[in-house]
Amino acid sequence: MSDETLPRAAAPPRRRAAVPVGVMMAMAWLALILAVALLADAIRPFGITAMDLRARLQPPIGFGGTSWAHALGTDELGRDVLSRLIESIRISLLIAFGATIIAAVFGTTMGFLAAHFRGWVEQVVLMLIDFQASMPFLILALSVLAFLGNSLPLFVCLMGLYGWERHARIARGLAIAANAQGYAAAVRHLGAGPLRIYLGHVLPNIASTLIVAATLSFPEVVLLESGLSFLGLGVQPPMTSLGNMVGYGREYITRAPWIMLCPSAVIVLTTLSVSILGDWLRDRLDPTLT
Amino acid sequence: MLRFAALRLGRALLTIALVVTFAFIVLRLSGDPAMMIMSPDAPPEALKAFREAWGLDEPLWLQYLKYFTAILQGELGQSMRDGRPAIELVAERIPATLLLTLPALALKIGLGIPAGIYAALHRNSMTDRVVMTFAVAGFTVPSFVLGLILVLIFAVQLGWLPSGGQEGWRSVILPVISMGLGGAGVLARFTRSAMLEVLGQPYIRTASAKGVPWGAVVRGHALPNAAIPTVTVVGFMVGSLMAGAVVVESVFSWPGVGRLMVVAVANRDLAVVQCVLLLVSATMVTSNLIVDLLYGVLDPRLRGQAPAAGGGH
Repeated sequence: MSDETLPRAAAPPRRRAAVPVGVMMAMAWLALILAVALLADAIRPFGITAMDLRARLQPPIGFGGTSWAHALGTDELGRDVLSRLIESIRISLLIAFGATIIAAVFGTTMGFLAAHFRGWVEQVVLMLIDFQASMPFLILALSVLAFLGNSLPLFVCLMGLYGWERHARIARGLAIAANAQGYAAAVRHLGAGPLRIYLGHVLPNIASTLIVAATLSFPEVVLLESGLSFLGLGVQPPMTSLGNMVGYGREYITRAPWIMLCPSAVIVLTTLSVSILGDWLRDRLDPTLT
Repeated sequence: MLRFAALRLGRALLTIALVVTFAFIVLRLSGDPAMMIMSPDAPPEALKAFREAWGLDEPLWLQYLKYFTAILQGELGQSMRDGRPAIELVAERIPATLLLTLPALALKIGLGIPAGIYAALHRNSMTDRVVMTFAVAGFTVPSFVLGLILVLIFAVQLGWLPSGGQEGWRSVILPVISMGLGGAGVLARFTRSAMLEVLGQPYIRTASAKGVPWGAVVRGHALPNAAIPTVTVVGFMVGSLMAGAVVVESVFSWPGVGRLMVVAVANRDLAVVQCVLLLVSATMVTSNLIVDLLYGVLDPRLRGQAPAAGGGH
């Protein structure tokens, strides 16, 4: 907001605060989810399309289920919910990671371009930022998806457009500030080219802020992907994602609520964990970011 | 102030023009609608006739020009499915959407802002933590999950409320809650941090130090200043009155604009998608414009700055 009129009191030197329990739990959950995603093929008990028509709509263990072979029950075609959940976690995380990385790289590049060239380049970038920020992304995504058709790479790129403007805004502001600082001027006078200055010197100095911004947009990408897949317009069968599973499970909400509740729980726990971790990282690395 | 308003209005119109261009590029260049609508093995003459009827055989720049002038004249094309004007199809869905989004907006504001203010004034208290926990939950639980869980509890288990459709006021309750709770959480969190920032400012300390009662400090100094950033978020929520219900309308099979959009997207019905896109962006841009102008009213500092800030460009 406004500039500080009073100098902030210098922070007293303090010990490294212990990691709060909530953050520890969030980290543990994310580690588990990551491990599941990486090892999906090895730990999945059944194929995701393997049907067992004699064991349709079996409830999970603890809710009247009897078969340990299907610990989380089966769906309307007798497919194992646990196996499908594992595969869904992999696909959803793949999309969310891919999209977050694309957004960060694209946004940071645009921000640097604006900061380097200024003038009309900066005006165009700022206009695009304004445009992106003022439109509900879901509607833009729906339009693009419907008319470009749908494939996994395209879907990841589309999700990668989400949140780039946040990175661009941060990167531009920080790079302009960095350009005014001694170190950037020093390497420039030593003859380094723009590429070297921005990638070798400016980027490492502003990386922590960008990483925090990425952790803040990651859960939003998960929610967006699952929302689109829930509507049947995201990940297409036979592939499965968390939102996809919720969408299909909804048909069986009265008879087999577990089909929809299992992926819902994973979505909520994952977005919650990343948010907790992101807030904590922000407080530690860069409290000025909102 | 007048120049400030004119600049903002210009930017709003530019955004609309960008949306129109975006719609044209994405929706028109991406595939052959004739194939999509008619099926690929339709006779070539039929495809040709279709393309001519919809102007798809003309050069793209001409299509763009025609498209742009048509929109300026309020002509938004016809649904490729049933031939009715797209604008008519969209317009008749608006009341149903507003029936959900307006109460949801009221819920967000009525619950979120007081909760955020209370949490900020009682920072680190038990209430603060409870409010913040709910706020984070509201943000991380997607509306379709919340909606389905509400259906599971109140429609399937208890049988108190309908799980979908339009059956009077009772069918409004669950969708409104599914939409409103999340937004209330976001707003509570935002209001709290805006309040905390203001409460840490020197002028609050000054006011307290000169003996102004705390209640008067909060009402007279803290709230008006914290209102400025909060208005931005509320403005964004107002702007998404049309678009905010896409997912929830699908959960509850509610015949609103969002449901229409999803179906149109699935059927690749160009005209309807474009129409919804324009409607949504126009709502969004208008409410952003109002927020910008409200800034001038709420924050006299901006009024002085605006011409200077705009003068450089």
